[in-house]
Amino acid sequence: MWRTLAGILLLAATAGHASEGEYLFGAAGCLACHTAEDGPPLAGGHALETPFGVFYAPNITPDRETGIGGWTRAQFIAALKHGTAPDGSAYFPAFPYTSYRHMSDADAGLIFDYLQTVQPQRRANQEHELPWWLARWMIRLWQWWVLDDPEPAPPAVREDPVLNRGRYLVEALGHCGECHTPRNWLGVSIRSRHLAGTRDGPEGDKVPNVTPDRDDGIGKWDAEDLGWFLESGELPDGDYTGGLMTEVVDNATSRLTVADRGAMVAYLRSLEPLPGP
Amino acid sequence: MIRTTIIATLLVAAAPAALAEDPEDFIKYRQAVMKAIGGHTGAASQIVRGKVNPEGALGMHANALAELSKDLTGLFPKGSDFGETKAKEEIWSDWAKFEKAADDARTATAAFAEAVTGGDADKIGTAFKGVGDSCKGCHKEFRQKDD
Repeated sequence: MWRTLAGILLLAATAGHASEGEYLFGAAGCLACHTAEDGPPLAGGHALETPFGVFYAPNITPDRETGIGGWTRAQFIAALKHGTAPDGSAYFPAFPYTSYRHMSDADAGLIFDYLQTVQPQRRANQEHELPWWLARWMIRLWQWWVLDDPEPAPPAVREDPVLNRGRYLVEALGHCGECHTPRNWLGVSIRSRHLAGTRDGPEGDKVPNVTPDRDDGIGKWDAEDLGWFLESGELPDGDYTGGLMTEVVDNATSRLTVADRGAMVAYLRSLEPLPGP
Repeated sequence: MIRTTIIATLLVAAAPAALAEDPEDFIKYRQAVMKAIGGHTGAASQIVRGKVNPEGALGMHANALAELSKDLTGLFPKGSDFGETKAKEEIWSDWAKFEKAADDARTATAAFAEAVTGGDADKIGTAFKGVGDSCKGCHKEFRQKDD
C-alpha cells in the first residue's frame, strides 16, 4: 500500500519534472540544430554554416554509445554551461554555451532529465568541416578569454519580475544573441551591438535588428504584434518569416506560454534602441 | 496549303508576343501577387486575432487567399530564377518538394475559406494558423533572406 503510494508519488514527481524539462528544452531551442533534415529527432547532424566552418550538432539522445546515455548530470551541465565535453576538451561555440551559461544549474539539470527520457537513437556524430587554421585546442584559449563573469542585469530589469523572466528567456534559454548580435573577427559577440542584427548571420543570411529602434529595429511593432510573431511567425505586414527563424518559431517560441512570450517581448522592448546593421 | 499558310502566319505573329514577355516583368508580377497574398493575410490576421471587425471582410480576404493560392507553381516558370528575385534555385532543382509546399498552401487557404464560411471562431483560428504554417514552410526552404 505505502509502496504503491510512494510509487505513484514518484511517478507524478518524475512526470512533473520531465514536462518542466521538456518545456525548458523547447525554450532553449535544442531540437532544430540537433536534428538532421528528415533524420530522427535529436540524433544530430544538422549542418550549421558559419564563417568559421560547417558544424554538425551531435547526437543528444540517451544512446549509450553515440549519444549522451552514459553521461552524468554534472557532465551535462558542464557541457551546456561551460562548453566542456566529458573528456575535458572544449566545444566549438557553434554550441551556444556562451548563452546557456546564464542558465541556472537547476534548469540545465531538468533539461538533462528530459533528454534521458527521449527515444535513444544510434547515430554516430559527424565531424565538423573546419577551415585549415582552426583547431579544437584554440577554443580553450577562446573560452578563457570570452567566458568572463556575466554582466549583471541592469537594476530596472532585475527588480521587475516580468523583465527579469524575459531576460532569462531571451539571453539564456532562447540564445537570441547568437544570431542577432554581430561578432568580431574572433567570433566574439560585440557587446555594444547586442541584438542589433548583422549582415553576416548563419548561412550567410542577414539577421534583423531586434532592439526597439524605430527605423531599423522593432520600435514600431506593438507588444501584441511581437507576441504574435513569436507565436506564429507572421510579420506585421502579413508576410511570414523564413530561414532559420522558422525553426525558432516552430520549435521554441510557439511552444512557450503566452506569459513567457509576453515577458520576452517586454524585455526586448526595454532594451536600448540601436540603429543598423 | 491555305490552312498551313494561315497557321504559319499566326505562329509568326504570335512569336514576338511570346518573346516580348520579359522574365524580369514576370518576376515583378510574381512579387506583386505575393505581396497581395501577404496583404490579405495581414488583413485577415487583424480580424482573426480580434483586433478589428470590419463587416463581412474576413470572407473576402479568405476567398482572395484561396483564389490567389490556387496556382502558386504557375508563378515560378523556368527562366524566372535570375534577376531581382528572392526565389531560391532550389525551387527548380527540387521541384517536387516545391510543388508539395505550394499544394500545402492551396489546401490550407481552401480550408481557411471554408472555416470562415462555417463561422466557428476556433476552427477559423486553427485554419488561419494552418495558412501561416504553409507560408512559413515554403519561405523556409525556398525564399532567400533580405540582403
